[in-house]
Amino acid sequence: MANGGESTGVKPQPISGGSTREAELPAVAWRAGGERAESPLVQGIRRFRRSTTALVGVGIVAALLLVAIFADVLAPLSPIASDQTRTFQRPGWDYPLGTDQLGRDMLSRIIHGSRISLAVGVSSVLLALFVGVPCGMVAGYYGGRVDGAIMRVMDLILAFPIYLLAIILMVMFTPTAGLIGTMKVTGAIAIVRIPIYARLVRGSALSIKEKEFIEACRALGVRDPSIIFRHILPNCLAPIIVTTTLGIATSIIVEATLSFLGLGTQPPTPSWGWDLKANISFIQSNAWLSLFPGLAIFVTVLGFNLFGDGLRDALDPRLK
Amino acid sequence: MRVYILRRLLQIVPTVLGITLVVFLMMRSVPGDPVVSVLGDAYTEEDAIRAREEYGLNKPILVQYLIWLGKLVQGDWGASILTGRPVLEDVLIRLPVTLELIVLSMAVALLIAIPAGIIGAIRQNTWADYTATTVAMIGVSIPEFFIGVLLLLLFSFGLGGLLPSSGWIYLPGTCPTMVCGSSLWGNMTHVLMPALALGVGRAALLTRLLRASMLEVIRTEYVTTARAKGLSERPIVFKHALKNALIPTVTVMGLQIGFLIGGAIVVETLFAMPGLGTFGIDAIIARDYQQVQGFALLTALAFVVMNLLVDLSYTFLDPRIRYT
Repeated sequence: MANGGESTGVKPQPISGGSTREAELPAVAWRAGGERAESPLVQGIRRFRRSTTALVGVGIVAALLLVAIFADVLAPLSPIASDQTRTFQRPGWDYPLGTDQLGRDMLSRIIHGSRISLAVGVSSVLLALFVGVPCGMVAGYYGGRVDGAIMRVMDLILAFPIYLLAIILMVMFTPTAGLIGTMKVTGAIAIVRIPIYARLVRGSALSIKEKEFIEACRALGVRDPSIIFRHILPNCLAPIIVTTTLGIATSIIVEATLSFLGLGTQPPTPSWGWDLKANISFIQSNAWLSLFPGLAIFVTVLGFNLFGDGLRDALDPRLK
Repeated sequence: MRVYILRRLLQIVPTVLGITLVVFLMMRSVPGDPVVSVLGDAYTEEDAIRAREEYGLNKPILVQYLIWLGKLVQGDWGASILTGRPVLEDVLIRLPVTLELIVLSMAVALLIAIPAGIIGAIRQNTWADYTATTVAMIGVSIPEFFIGVLLLLLFSFGLGGLLPSSGWIYLPGTCPTMVCGSSLWGNMTHVLMPALALGVGRAALLTRLLRASMLEVIRTEYVTTARAKGLSERPIVFKHALKNALIPTVTVMGLQIGFLIGGAIVVETLFAMPGLGTFGIDAIIARDYQQVQGFALLTALAFVVMNLLVDLSYTFLDPRIRYT
């Protein structure tokens, strides 16, 4: 990776307009003049910033992150403290989003619920990434029996309908409340999502390992781990980043669905899916109780989808 | 072609064995003992041992799996530990409900996605395209159960109880026993909202996909050729472009089958439908091993058979694809 240092001795000459002057420049300045060409990353960022929908997505995601981080400060009341004298309050000044059947403030529950959704959404994808990417890399790079063994396991996981596997995993883990409960949900969703990254990375690794610069690495005596992680991995980052962002959106939906089925993080920990489910019994008289958690899930997923779509258009238009 | 189908059918066997074995092992590692819930308050250690022996639960897990498999080959799906009812019978009663739900939600998805995807592509960057893509973006971001809740609010509670919020009436001819009620109108009112709830999200996904592949296809040379030789827009779009653009869409539709089976669990729970989804989740939570096995077997079968059908449909969409 030391190929960037060769032009350090020559200061790139400023080029101002006329093509005749450009032609007069010495050959070495031409190479240094490569600075004028934008790197794919800069081009990507430029494309991203031009897209309004992508920026809306970033805005939603950033706002949600702030809400989740400062939930304790932002929430007007405790999300779990019940007040039996104030059950089923309609949305108003005291309770902007009303109260549920235990008299708990819905706004505070929604604000705190963002933590579960974001924590599970982001960390399950990261976990899947940390297992799936090396698996896919190794499978794609070495091929043969290693590839066969790894991909058969991945295929077995993929052969399951995603919810069925996640549901059985959660029953195995026995859902609980609090941090441990959140970690269990994260683990279950991560297991289900590993093969997606393994397959993606394997496909990229298969084509990149045949390129000449990898052959050059081998000829230079670069060791396999270094080839895999320093030369192949950076070349398949674009699809990984895009799939990760869109994957967070899917993970958030899976988390909400598990909670909806009663298999997510257990109460008293506030969770959007659980709140929606718990309040369906009162839907006829107090519709807003199911509406607000659902809207919260929708906006969050929409934010990550817009963000991911923008990233895809910016980083890797071929993926469209 | 026939050889190919035969080979694919044979490949189903290891996949189904794999899925059922994994489910078997996973269910056995769930903490808790179904015998405890069977015996209830009358639990004694002696009874528990006898019950475990009766259900074969005292044998090694792999032996239990082989016994299950052996009985299955003879057409015996086992009996529920909790209710004693034969699993096959229960599954067959519930199958038509879920099948109808999945087929109709698929139809909903295609009925929305094909026109929306085509319009989005051939009227790219017009208000029609923007509407289609915006609605599709919203659609992929709403979980099924929330769409279900919105439909409930609108049609069951909002419009004076236009559609029933829960329960089921069988389609005439699908009721497997003598006791269940069936009528076409009743069935339609019961299945409409669940099918929409399950289908709308898939429609959004397929719309985005179809629009993208239509955009790609209509820029190819053979479409230009078709235009150059004076074909009108209609046959170009439907005969030349759409069929080729449908291939990735059909692939994703096949992958979505697994998602629909899972989605059926959610939607059936929300609308309290007596389908396989509610059967499956109840069995999993109650740790009714035999019922879970039956559910997993049927799910796995549905999954692989649908994927085979998807692969075979490629030959119809693109005659250049031939299986040998």
